[in-house]
Amino acid sequence: MNDTKARENKNVFRFAPLVLFVVFIFTFCILFIVMPKSDYSSTEKRYLEQFPELSAETLFSGEFSENFETYLADQFFGRNFWKGLNSYYNLAIGHNGADGVYSGNDGYLINIPVEEKDSRVQNNINTVVKFSQSIDVTVTVEIVPGTGYIMNDKLPLNHFNYNDEIYFNQIINTCNDNNLEFIDLRESFKQSAIDGIQLYYKTDHHWTTAGAYVGYEQLCNKWGLTPTSKEKFNIETYDNFYGTTYSTSGFWFTNPDTIQVWNNPENTEKNITVDIIEGDAQETYHSMYFLNHLEEDDKYPIFLDGNHPLEYITNSNVKSGKLLIIKDSFSHCFAPFIADNFNSVTLVDMRYYKGSVSEIVKEENFDKVLVLYGIDNFATDTDLAWLK
Amino acid sequence: MVFSSIIFLFMYLPFVLLIYYIVPRELRNLFLFIVNLIFYGWGEPVFVLLMLFSTVVDYTHGYFINKYRDNKRKAKGFLISSVVINLSLLGFFKYAGFLADTLNVLPFVNLPVLTIPLPIGISFYTFQTMSYSIDVYRGDAPVQKNIITFGTYVALFPQLIAGPIVRYKDVAYQLDHRRETLDQVTHGVKLFMVGLGKKVLIANQMGAMWDAIRETGQANGVLGSWIGIAAYTFQIYFDFSGYSDMACGLGNMFGFEFLKNFNYPYISKTITEFWRRWHISLSTWFREYVYIPLGGNRKGIKRQIFNLLVVWLLTGFWHGAAYNFILWGLYYGIILIIEKFILMKWLDKLPSAIQHIYTLFIVMIGWTLFYFEDMEQLVSYLSCMFDFTQGIIGQKALSITLSYLPLFVVASLASTPLGAKLYEKVRNQGFVWIPETAYCAVVLLLCTASLVNQSYNPFLYFRF
Repeated sequence: MNDTKARENKNVFRFAPLVLFVVFIFTFCILFIVMPKSDYSSTEKRYLEQFPELSAETLFSGEFSENFETYLADQFFGRNFWKGLNSYYNLAIGHNGADGVYSGNDGYLINIPVEEKDSRVQNNINTVVKFSQSIDVTVTVEIVPGTGYIMNDKLPLNHFNYNDEIYFNQIINTCNDNNLEFIDLRESFKQSAIDGIQLYYKTDHHWTTAGAYVGYEQLCNKWGLTPTSKEKFNIETYDNFYGTTYSTSGFWFTNPDTIQVWNNPENTEKNITVDIIEGDAQETYHSMYFLNHLEEDDKYPIFLDGNHPLEYITNSNVKSGKLLIIKDSFSHCFAPFIADNFNSVTLVDMRYYKGSVSEIVKEENFDKVLVLYGIDNFATDTDLAWLK
Repeated sequence: MVFSSIIFLFMYLPFVLLIYYIVPRELRNLFLFIVNLIFYGWGEPVFVLLMLFSTVVDYTHGYFINKYRDNKRKAKGFLISSVVINLSLLGFFKYAGFLADTLNVLPFVNLPVLTIPLPIGISFYTFQTMSYSIDVYRGDAPVQKNIITFGTYVALFPQLIAGPIVRYKDVAYQLDHRRETLDQVTHGVKLFMVGLGKKVLIANQMGAMWDAIRETGQANGVLGSWIGIAAYTFQIYFDFSGYSDMACGLGNMFGFEFLKNFNYPYISKTITEFWRRWHISLSTWFREYVYIPLGGNRKGIKRQIFNLLVVWLLTGFWHGAAYNFILWGLYYGIILIIEKFILMKWLDKLPSAIQHIYTLFIVMIGWTLFYFEDMEQLVSYLSCMFDFTQGIIGQKALSITLSYLPLFVVASLASTPLGAKLYEKVRNQGFVWIPETAYCAVVLLLCTASLVNQSYNPFLYFRF
């Protein structure tokens, strides 16, 4: 016994755990203090917490300490490494993804199923019905099914069921009961997926330009319009697009997507005008594509410059037709297609526009009104309630 | 502040360790006293005043109890005064709202319901300070003449917010005479790493699993509901015992030795054994300061049953100001009485597998009572656990279970002394530092990753 003890005590390596611990906590403590802080994380695509406001009030309310802990986590040295480690560790111990994103096959990062709260789907479609009754124009509803529902075979084996079927039926029934036109994309999307068309990004929740084209074709069929044929477009492909599901998941080793612009050669700065209204400011451009965003972390805003409350697209090659789209960001890559068939397309985003839409309808004499949303947004959006 | 946070691990602890070992020995208690208050005040600075109040009051009472040692009546008067003040603090901050709510049910009663936030850890430190007055009164511990040293004990940060409840007599000597050694600090680090791993890598994940299953309600099916409560059973054990391990480890880093608080409770064969292994410092406290003074088992069977019921009612109520905690306490009180007087002789003869199943069954039903403060939800969850018409396991519950299966197995194994036995075999080998250091490295990396990501990381004892 004494013998063992003597031998044990001589071994200086027995302090190794202590040394490791002390070095580790002191290193990261010092690194946190000396390293410059950043405002923005380009991998996570979000603004990082800054040193919180310190006053007697914030200190005693506990607000300071709470924000300070977020500040520490956001500005921790090597944050991307830690976030990635956490995500891949979760995958390694048998989870099917991390932070609300499934890690699917072929590099697909897919949001877990959205669960509506407080009958949001029904409430939102009821709002649309009520709005349609307050105007003279027929309203058409087009809902884009989710990645998880259509790309079922890309999901991890173990996953929750997607509710798209339930939500679609709810919306369709309400549309039928109230004479709203509905464009059901489910079959055409399933077929296109089988045909090998990439309808969705792998690292983002949006549909691709090719996916939006399928939605455009279906709408034209319903409205009796001739879609611009696929062959006519010059397709430009840009690399290195990492989308939102990539940013939230932390699966940093996923390959990037490509993002495509389908250019109709007939559309030039001579016939295209894009007016973007933001508050009292109005900017005018002559292209629907804003390639300056290719330099940025989020490349999706190359379509119509991203989110704005109100945008007008005018195509002087088309003599008539006025279309209003009430939309979320899924419309951004869709609108350039439908602009080939209308003289003017107005886009209203209820997340940012809080005025009366029926007033616009009265002033502008629209021929068609389209409500276009991704299903996940439609099942969770609380801003559509502003539609009146 | 909680241990499993970035601010504690990478700000508070490095500074406190560094300065603690720089300052001369005679200033170390003063330094600990100051940083204890920072630790406690972080988040809710006002309650530092409460802590100082507690310190001064109990210090003064201890002083007078000691002074009038030869005058039994006066000494007793000061003891009673100390207990009353401590219990009043606890009563006011923890139970006032509950009491007002309860009394307002009666007609003609309309008490204002105060919404005071519960000062974190109040149930732990009021029990500790009471133990001081009682220990001094009984002559089990010497009076503490130095108020700073006494304050260091009251607010000692390692066990301040989630135990173990350290009786004064267990640390009285250490407060003034501890000698920190590198071996002790190293042991503390290893223990802390065990606790941090339990909390962040197992308890938090099991907690997320429990939350996910609970959301689905009835659709879980019978097995799904049992898996859900099993996840909670793991969560509460790994969370609580993880905290205790971290507390003991931190104590070691500053030269203290605390007593063990958990001893593999889920391997128990009876409920009596379970309570000898679960939250040992709390059971000890109640035995020593309530059960035995009430007469324990020395005044006949009827009185013993009464005493047991009182102790378990209080034990339940200590865990939170809500009916379900009282119910939970009485549930254990009654089962323990039944075991003691009837069941024990039968249980012993059963195969040990049956004994384990029996114990785990009672414990899991117990955690269901413990979790749901809302009686309606409690009844609804309990009925799901026995309602075979809802199927065996729902699609969602199955998916969650599969996702967490590997961790579930790890948690099951980690609930047994298997790992400790393996470690015991190699602990005197020359190479043992290699697996030890590797273990610490893995825990540090994974816990930091989880904390930086601000993953689910609840604090379960805000009701205590």
